[in-house]
Amino acid sequence: MSDARSADGEVRFEKVRKAFGTNVVVRELDLAIRGGEFVSLLGPSGCGKTTTLRMLAGLEFPTSGSISIGGRVVNEVAPGARDVAMVFQSYALYPHMTVAENIAYPLRKRGVPKPEREQRVQRAAESLHLTELLSRKPRQLSGGQQQRVALGRALVRDPRVFLLDEPLSNLDAKLRAHMRAELIELHARIRRTFIYVTHDQLEAMTMSDRIAVMHEGVLQQFGTPAEVYNRPANLFVAGFIGAPTMNLLHGQAAEGAFHHPALGLPFAGGSPPASGQRLVLGLRPEDVVLGTGPFAARIRLVEPHGHEQIVQLDIEGGDTLTIRADAALPLAAGEALRWGLRTARLHLFNAESGGRIDAAFTAPAEAAAA
Amino acid sequence: MKRIAGRIAFNLFAWLVVFVTAFPLVWMVITSVKPQFELFRIPPTFWPEQITFEHYARLLWETPFLLYMRNSLILSTATTVVVVAVATLGAHSLVRFRYPGREKLAQLVLFTYLLPSVVLILPLYLMMVWLGVANSLLSLVIAYTTFALPYALWLLRSFMQGIPDDLENAALVDGATRMGAFFDVILPQALPGIISTSLFTFILSWNEYLYALVLVNTDAARPLTTGVMNMLISAFNIEWSLLMAASVMMSIPLIIIFAFLQKFLTRGFGAGGVKG
Repeated sequence: MSDARSADGEVRFEKVRKAFGTNVVVRELDLAIRGGEFVSLLGPSGCGKTTTLRMLAGLEFPTSGSISIGGRVVNEVAPGARDVAMVFQSYALYPHMTVAENIAYPLRKRGVPKPEREQRVQRAAESLHLTELLSRKPRQLSGGQQQRVALGRALVRDPRVFLLDEPLSNLDAKLRAHMRAELIELHARIRRTFIYVTHDQLEAMTMSDRIAVMHEGVLQQFGTPAEVYNRPANLFVAGFIGAPTMNLLHGQAAEGAFHHPALGLPFAGGSPPASGQRLVLGLRPEDVVLGTGPFAARIRLVEPHGHEQIVQLDIEGGDTLTIRADAALPLAAGEALRWGLRTARLHLFNAESGGRIDAAFTAPAEAAAA
Repeated sequence: MKRIAGRIAFNLFAWLVVFVTAFPLVWMVITSVKPQFELFRIPPTFWPEQITFEHYARLLWETPFLLYMRNSLILSTATTVVVVAVATLGAHSLVRFRYPGREKLAQLVLFTYLLPSVVLILPLYLMMVWLGVANSLLSLVIAYTTFALPYALWLLRSFMQGIPDDLENAALVDGATRMGAFFDVILPQALPGIISTSLFTFILSWNEYLYALVLVNTDAARPLTTGVMNMLISAFNIEWSLLMAASVMMSIPLIIIFAFLQKFLTRGFGAGGVKG
């Protein structure tokens, strides 16, 4: 049963391009989403993620390329006939209808007979704890309740694909965390395809099976949260995913090593970048070891966070590193200290193209810093 | 102390304005129920010594007043229906759809207001003759539509701009057709705007004089404005008491409509549907 279901909710973008006049919003998008998968479209505002979602909903037409749902090309299919449900950032509840009428609306438009309609509205309301609110108007509800009604209106139809456009961005932080958990549970329960647009990497990382990172209309990387975090495909993904963000050090390849005024890292085996090539080394804040190591630095700032401290280190070459350190470590601004790296967890990028370079490093000798 | 004085001054001023505005109306009502002989007494009496409804009776039973009233009602209602139907769909198109020349079109619509209506009357009259509808209620409906529609379009456009796109999009995704979404979602949201536009159009048509005077010269198609003038004002004599009674009765439909629709105008529904 689950197999039939998966083929059902499969979504495919092929060479999809969208331009408004001369302004190209989505370029050559190829994306294949499996049925039942929870996929986030993640990127800064203006990256084309919402346009991508709206094209899938049928609210925008692609300039070229094809979009298919469940194996059927839907370019020419009206939004209502695509069997997708959408939750809008603004919730878009119909202000003149009660909660019950709002939830029943998609069923009414599909000609579901009244007794069944009422039954399904009741069921959707129960699963979202809305039963008490069914006779209210949207303006009498809190933001969180409105959010639930919007979800209910999507849920009641049992569509093949759920489209969610930043549904949590209008909620306060506490409610957002709560709704995140509810969405994960909901997806686990109904196993439908969820396509979730967000600019919040935390939402994308915590909820998704896979994340599609977009920037300036171009798909940067499509992978699981672990892949996107541990093997960012390029400098944009590296800089966008992770908080605090990855430290990026500009340097150059010379004599089989990466060179930066503060550190030299010999490449290990494989085919190291050619000498003279400009490179960017990426260090996650948690992949730096403080206290011992081959390199020297001075502490600029310490931010205690309770369970950890975020430390800004001034290193040679005028760069500053942001480091995640154990809360127990005695650190104070102005102090000099030694530091080292987990060489297995470093990232290397081509400075010109921004693309990832797969390179391994050997641990630098203690003397290399001198 | 100063504040109280200011308040008193403000209130006095406000009542003065009310008095200046309302006095002619009050005088109209009072005159309409005075017997003929009391009208020109010097000094004039404010409260009539004797109240009579003979003028009303004469108007209703002995003159074509009811015919004019019927014409005016048909004319204003038809104009309002045509203008609101076209303007609602047109405004929706101007707000929601993207097509070349959309903004230009919206501005061009206002161009009709640059020309004084006197300039447009003769061409319009010739067109009516050419269409074969001259001297009929239909010709007036068409003429009134030409100047009520542009304003109605702009009024409704600004109303519709306040309705979030997402509402219509949600209806489309929920399975409504374009028309279905329009009727289910847009229309209820635009209702206060549609009501005020209807009111505006109705009043405009009800009070219009110039076009009615030029385009129609038969009692069968004369509305109240020109009909009453034609009937009661001749070169030698003005029948003041009849005129005042007619004026009172002409005002009544508008007052009823206003009283009925006012609550729709001020009711702020639409609030709270969309957050952010």
